[in-house]
Amino acid sequence: MNPLEGVVIALRSLVVNPLRSFLTLLGIIIGITAIIAVISVINGLNIYVADKLSNLGPGVFVVDRFGLISNREDMIRAIRRNKRLTMDDAEALAERSTLAEVVAVEVHAFVDVAARGETLKRVDVGGISAEILDIEPYDVEAGRIITPHEVERAAPVAFIGQDIAEKLFPRLDPVGKTLRVANREVMVIGLAQKRGSVFGFSRDNFVKIPITLHQKLFGSRNSVNISVKAADMARMEDTMDEARMILRVQHHLGFDEDDDFGMRSAEGLNALWENLTKIIFNVAIFVVGISLVVGGIVVMNIMLVSVIERRREIGLRKAVGARPRDIRLQFLIESVVLSSVGGAIGISAAYLLSWAIRTYTPLPAAFPLWAPVLAFGICGTIGVFFGLNPAAKAARLDPIEALRSEA
Amino acid sequence: MSPPAPKASPSPAAPEAPVILIEDLWRTYSMAAGLEVHALQGVSLTIERNEYVAIIGPSGSGKSTLMNLLGCLDTPTRGRYVLSGRTVSELDDDDLALIRNLEIGFVFQTFNLLPRTTALHNVELPLIYSRLPKDERRERARAALAAVDLEDRMHHKPNELSGGQRQRVAIARALVTRPSLLLADEPTGNLDTAVSAEIMALFDRLHAEGNTIVLITHERDIAAHADRVIALRDGRIESDVRQQHLRAATRP
Repeated sequence: MNPLEGVVIALRSLVVNPLRSFLTLLGIIIGITAIIAVISVINGLNIYVADKLSNLGPGVFVVDRFGLISNREDMIRAIRRNKRLTMDDAEALAERSTLAEVVAVEVHAFVDVAARGETLKRVDVGGISAEILDIEPYDVEAGRIITPHEVERAAPVAFIGQDIAEKLFPRLDPVGKTLRVANREVMVIGLAQKRGSVFGFSRDNFVKIPITLHQKLFGSRNSVNISVKAADMARMEDTMDEARMILRVQHHLGFDEDDDFGMRSAEGLNALWENLTKIIFNVAIFVVGISLVVGGIVVMNIMLVSVIERRREIGLRKAVGARPRDIRLQFLIESVVLSSVGGAIGISAAYLLSWAIRTYTPLPAAFPLWAPVLAFGICGTIGVFFGLNPAAKAARLDPIEALRSEA
Repeated sequence: MSPPAPKASPSPAAPEAPVILIEDLWRTYSMAAGLEVHALQGVSLTIERNEYVAIIGPSGSGKSTLMNLLGCLDTPTRGRYVLSGRTVSELDDDDLALIRNLEIGFVFQTFNLLPRTTALHNVELPLIYSRLPKDERRERARAALAAVDLEDRMHHKPNELSGGQRQRVAIARALVTRPSLLLADEPTGNLDTAVSAEIMALFDRLHAEGNTIVLITHERDIAAHADRVIALRDGRIESDVRQQHLRAATRP
């Protein structure tokens, strides 16, 4: 029999009992919806994270005390052996690196910041070198950014984020006002544009001051973060290797010793993140897989019912010349069509779902084209696999008994 | 996929070969506890082309078993069955399906039309398994429906047709492959007397047009349409009477 006619027959028998067909397909619909929804959410998360989590632009990497550490043992080891990075380290890099275009320094302290009788606890106060602006641009909402001249003379000035402004200077223009940082008065010279939050963590809760001032206030014992921008983006890896060698020499590390500092780049951060989402994805796939197996079993059941209900039809088809393999093919096609229809409904539902997520949340959820293709592939496989048994049963039916059975 | 045997149609090439030749046919069913039931016990029979035969007998006489064997739906336990010159008692399932498709047209008591599909599609069904191209299928199905005067009903579904019309669709389906044998199992069993007469008149006409017809029935007046009446009892042929006069006599 022509497979296309098989598809038509299958669709016709689906339409005859829409409620039963829908209930039969529920497992597959849910499974496929879930799998594609997970793909589009993770996809959206990846885009979101690549866009927001790392302020690091392309060709930029950061050398800091710990780098990216994703497990406890490494963290404990790193705390024990990694030395603080100093301004000397940064200067060594700036002097000796041939591939770096910019070397900038930022040092963080989490201290109380006060103004107008209001105190904010543990604010991220960053001391920055002037070069940092070549690497991590701050969009200015009002006032201006810190100048190299101010860094040089440790001027008591601050460039603040939106959260600080809202909390300390509500409904006021913060530019020109004074802040108290570690009992030292500094003047607000600029306000950054709103940067928003990532996963509920505000990225507007900062105060930037000249690094020279930072060292005066908090000493030079805080480990600095050294940001390096490669002159040639294509030679990012080489630039990182060179920086690593310079620092290893600077730290007098033997050739068999591990680095006692960390390096991270946007690429590395994204890789780490994508590793994490891969784990989420695998877990989700496992759960969805169970739903699909259950869905497949339901399809098999309904196909078995269908074989029994249509014994007379099978008997008649055999009487007029259908071979066992024709009957088997007919029921396999039906099973595949059945689960593919479930897949199509699931894909549509997932499309609506990711549209809703995209529209009503900041997550740019969307699924790539391979997702529905994969979904149809899965459905086809389910249809064949769970259709084999009912189809074989139908093919084996004795035409005499099948014709004699009550319709 | 192509038929291994020459295409069957009322073939003028071998008019001397009987349509049905069975020799010492046995069919034994093994029941539980080693019990054996001999439904057919050594039946021998020859039916020539364009014969009009009724097989009658009470229930349990073996006439259903014989019909299943004649229709190649079943294989004999012992004996030989040659259909249109081909020994079918030794064929496997696939070849039997092919023989059923090419050589036999079934007409059932309960019509056995596919519900929810049109008369035309029902008639086309055997040709689908003959792997004919769609256009030719359509054409032949139309012609077969025309032969039973149902051209105007071909797009109706079975539930939109009367009992007699349904049986005529079923007869068209049996004819559409131009089989060498038309095998009808109680074809009027579900029809009232008037419609039965109409269907039997159709069989008479098909016979007159050259078809070979075997009717399985337990009704004497249906059997009376045939030229030859074979009575079965306890799995054996009890009588085999040629009675050309009978049909003429029942016709006014």
